[in-house]
Amino acid sequence: MGFWEQLASNLVFGILLGSVYGLATMGLSLIFGVLRIVNVGHGAFLMIGAYAAFWLFTLFGLSPIASIFMALAVGLALGFITFYSVIKRLIGAPELSTLLATFGIGLFIEELAKLVWGPDYRGYSWDTPYISLGISAISFSKIYALLASIVIAFLLFMWFKKTKLGMAVRAVVEDKEGAMVCGIDVTRIYALSFALGIALTVASGVLITLFVPVGINPYMGGEYTLKAFVIAVLGGLTSPWGAFYAGFIFGLLENGSYTLLGLIPDVEPFSLTRFIAFTTLLIILLIKPTGLLGGEEM
Amino acid sequence: MRGVHTLLIIYAILLIVGLTVPGMWQPVAFLMFYVALGQAFNIFLGLTGYVDFGYVAFLALGSYGMAIAMDSLYQTGLGAAILPIGLLLAALMSIMLSLAVGAVALRLRGAYFAIATIGVNEGFRYLIEGARLWGGSEGIIITGAMRKIFGREMANFISTMVADVLVFGIGLLAALTTYVIIHKRMGYALMAIREDEDAARVMGINVTKYKIMAFITSAFFAGLIGASAWTLKMTYVFPSDVFLITYTVEAIVIVMLGGAGTLLGPVVGGITYGLLKYYLSVILPGFQLLILAPLLVAIVVAFPEGIVGYLKERVRGTRFEGYIL
Repeated sequence: MGFWEQLASNLVFGILLGSVYGLATMGLSLIFGVLRIVNVGHGAFLMIGAYAAFWLFTLFGLSPIASIFMALAVGLALGFITFYSVIKRLIGAPELSTLLATFGIGLFIEELAKLVWGPDYRGYSWDTPYISLGISAISFSKIYALLASIVIAFLLFMWFKKTKLGMAVRAVVEDKEGAMVCGIDVTRIYALSFALGIALTVASGVLITLFVPVGINPYMGGEYTLKAFVIAVLGGLTSPWGAFYAGFIFGLLENGSYTLLGLIPDVEPFSLTRFIAFTTLLIILLIKPTGLLGGEEM
Repeated sequence: MRGVHTLLIIYAILLIVGLTVPGMWQPVAFLMFYVALGQAFNIFLGLTGYVDFGYVAFLALGSYGMAIAMDSLYQTGLGAAILPIGLLLAALMSIMLSLAVGAVALRLRGAYFAIATIGVNEGFRYLIEGARLWGGSEGIIITGAMRKIFGREMANFISTMVADVLVFGIGLLAALTTYVIIHKRMGYALMAIREDEDAARVMGINVTKYKIMAFITSAFFAGLIGASAWTLKMTYVFPSDVFLITYTVEAIVIVMLGGAGTLLGPVVGGITYGLLKYYLSVILPGFQLLILAPLLVAIVVAFPEGIVGYLKERVRGTRFEGYIL
């Protein structure tokens, strides 16, 4: 396979994976946008989703697409529990508190996963037909992941724009005191937004497993926390929609640069792409901390 | 000055116990590492209220600095002078990194800064492994180099004794630095920034400058700790060992447990944490983080002022005021 074919097929892969990145980051941006809390334990929730997909598939033969609904339910439950046990007490506390608390929660979930499921790498393979794009063959499972991400993102968008509850969330973002005066229970909106953000993250964990065949382990989330931060910053940090678009950009950048780095002799392109992700983060933060796609809010 | 007296008394007790009670030197050195780590981190987290999730990268670079000095200079015949050169290089490398990260990230406010630092640690580790820098993932082993420089006997002595004494001294120096900073213009500026950064800026305080100064000071001590407690003691550096996020967590827990921004906090936090960890590793080997993580959350939610912060409130107005700082 020539260089251009490889680049093209990697870019296609980048778009598919980018959709899942985008979905994963929407949860992070939603929580920051509404609660002004950076969920440093983001990756741990994603890991829960990956395990959910793994167990539902190996134990019950449930397809990952069906698992998404379970994952959303698990995520909502986890989100409400986390919110009412810890986060609620930290509303209005200094930023340091929420950063450390979410960091601790993430670590706790990872260690708990290690205790229960062990530190080994697990994986499963969902046999779906392949579609030939001329340059490379793409498994249908990855296309389902793309479609699922787009559908979930669209449903969330409609929920925010059309339903009363979604409008209440936007009202709280716009003006907390004003919303309170109008009879909106701000704490409940916070709880709902937090839980929704976590649910999206867990659901994206399910879809990630379609891209990493044997990469499921308790510490897999750290990598995605970093990537989600890069993407969130790209998308403006407070806007879930910005995050979704930015996911595609990041997927393309990551997989494109992987191909290019492979040309340099004597380096490990896999490690270097991660280094580049981090450097990108610093550069964007320096030149435009409000995000490349503008600070558009929900 | 009385706060410093309390500090010195605790250090003296540790030193005396370690030197006089047989078999106690290594346990005391174990505690001293955590005390020193807390002292170094407190200068940044405690005084500025900013959290650096990639803090361990400074210790890692320090340990690389020492290893590189040993590894590349052992044939030059500089002899024992390589040790101070190694410390210097360690300090220099961690300062360089803190300058690079600080100059970019410290222009950002709390949450954005924290986000930026999350990548520092992983990013640097992947750079070393990916670009095969400094031995790549195979690391640097200096056991042989140290024997050639110092001789077998002396090399052993450095690993088992000198390294620990260095950590002890660095911890003390970091604590005294904290004391000096707190009582200087810089300390007041940092306090103002911690309370209300916008107000501090309006009052004409150069916010970024003071934050970067605290960041560099903190990184300087971290580099020295990495060089002594890891490279000199273990005589090797592996990227997978020195970039371990666990150390960042430990540093955060120690500072928060003891009381962020207090002089005695890291000492109390470090000793408490060290003892806790020692007994936990006996009861639940390999699962210390499982205990630590909820502990951190519990401190943040229920006890954000830490042990020393709490005591400080309690003794206010009594004659013990001033002993607890």
